[in-house]
Amino acid sequence: MEQGGYRSLRIPAVLCLALAAVVLGGGLFWPLDPLAMDFTTTLAAPSLAHPMGTDATGRDVLARFLAGGRLSLLVGTVVMFGGLVPGALLGLLAARTGGALDLILMRIIDGIAAFPPILLAMAVAIGLGGGLWTAVLGVAISTLPFYARLMRSEVLRVQSYPFVEAAESMGASPGFILVWHIAPHAGSTMLVQSASVFGYAIITLAGLGFVGLGAQIPTPEWGVMITGGMQYALTGQWWLTIFPGFGILFAVVATNLLADRLSDVLGGRGDA
Amino acid sequence: MPKLIASRLLTSILALLGAAAFAFIAIRVAPGDAARLTLGAFATDEAIASLRVEMGLDRPLPVQFWIYLQDFVTGDWGRSYSLGQPVSQLLASRFPATLELGLYAFAMAFSAALAMALWGAHRQTPFSERLPQRLALFALGVPQFWFGLVSLMIGFELLGLFPGPVGRLPPGMDAPGGPTGLFTIDALLVGEIGTFAAAFHHLILPAATLALLPFGFLYRLLRANLADMSDASFALVARAHGQSRLRVLLKTLLPNAIIPTLTASGLIFGQLLAGSVLVERVFNWPGAGALVTQGVLTQDYSVVQTFILLSAAVYIVTNLLVDIVAALIDPRLRSGGLQR
Repeated sequence: MEQGGYRSLRIPAVLCLALAAVVLGGGLFWPLDPLAMDFTTTLAAPSLAHPMGTDATGRDVLARFLAGGRLSLLVGTVVMFGGLVPGALLGLLAARTGGALDLILMRIIDGIAAFPPILLAMAVAIGLGGGLWTAVLGVAISTLPFYARLMRSEVLRVQSYPFVEAAESMGASPGFILVWHIAPHAGSTMLVQSASVFGYAIITLAGLGFVGLGAQIPTPEWGVMITGGMQYALTGQWWLTIFPGFGILFAVVATNLLADRLSDVLGGRGDA
Repeated sequence: MPKLIASRLLTSILALLGAAAFAFIAIRVAPGDAARLTLGAFATDEAIASLRVEMGLDRPLPVQFWIYLQDFVTGDWGRSYSLGQPVSQLLASRFPATLELGLYAFAMAFSAALAMALWGAHRQTPFSERLPQRLALFALGVPQFWFGLVSLMIGFELLGLFPGPVGRLPPGMDAPGGPTGLFTIDALLVGEIGTFAAAFHHLILPAATLALLPFGFLYRLLRANLADMSDASFALVARAHGQSRLRVLLKTLLPNAIIPTLTASGLIFGQLLAGSVLVERVFNWPGAGALVTQGVLTQDYSVVQTFILLSAAVYIVTNLLVDIVAALIDPRLRSGGLQR
């Protein structure tokens, strides 16, 4: 086990900041329109004018890459909180009330967890008519079990500690225990889980975009860009596929690494 | 033991009902029209109206759910309008291709994860621990469909070592006539070595791509289990008896580290099924996963709906079986005292 304390967070933190800086700041230095077509320079290889080349309709791949990155960071954040808030509340409710409600809530969570996450997101996206935001909703729903189960077990664990019993014996209200005892303990675990959900959301939405259920065609999204480049992947126009894929790989590895190291430092995920 | 089985059976049925209810709500009750979803965007209004009656969409919701459950359990999964065949037949005809791909992917993932975990645990050098960790981080972070494309760009286009995305066999080669539908096994059964070699060659890239996620997952699980147990008293005793570290690792630690991975089988099957949807499209693999992608792209959702609910059913049934097997192997689980 590497036990470098907070110093072990340095590499993933730098990677995540670099990602955010490039994706968010890149638009300032590269102001081309990701949707502007130019039929005089279609499928051009990377050059100084187009560092990542152009696609079949002459759109600048770098501009699309940066726009896709912004979208990925956005959906990652939306899914992270969209799953965290209801998931944590469900887990908390189940653990605090117990009994029949606990049983029912956790069986619903079991039912959701039975689907491979990307297939569950597909079901939701199809049922709601497809498109980026239905897919985002689907992915957020598929993260509910991660949060709810973890929150429930954390609350049950903390509740069983003598200091909680001591606080209760001195007349502490449930609200006080929640804020001063449960939240600090469960918070770090939820943080670790959120970091890994962020990367999971990016890779899953790209997968949905690849089968045509996420972002729709002109939208610059990394998964859709790879789909668009697929028919040119084996005819020499590698830049259409390679760059967006590296974007996903970098974003997911950086956030997963952050989650791993956070979990080592904070003793989160899996130790519950 | 019967009590354990009964209680596990009950939870499984509840989870299955929950999953079915979820799929029902997501696809049937959501604003979209289920009959329209099944018949596609170009169906006539009369066809949709008659299907609505046939599917019972004019009935109250609980009745609809009951019909939905009955149809699912009895294998009446509707028809695909674009392919004109019952969904059950379509899936059955495509399933062997997906099964063969999944089996090879699992074999690759498991053997690679095992080798890496054992190497790291035995050598304990920074290199032997970090390299597998980095590989696992990569395997869990890389989009599978993209990795598949890149493997084709390098292995097929650039180096010419592997066949292109043409499916299970080279164009023009006939499938080996055999009982299983798994080409590599059928080819061996009927003694066609050339067909076996071709089928195997076509399997390598897609199976390696599909293996990524289960590999990363299994490696981490095995490594954590081995690390947990290397300090256990029984390992210390074995070493104190003068057994070599390698012998202790293989004979004492490994069997104990593998059993918990059994409980992850349901999850692995799920990863393989979901992964096949993306990977089969990249390699034009004629399996059930490609059928699902095709259904999404042509807005022919009857196959897609069935596949999604089936994947949940596979997960739940696998977990039930694994729990029972685990309780048979490990008496501690029977008393219910050592629940995960």
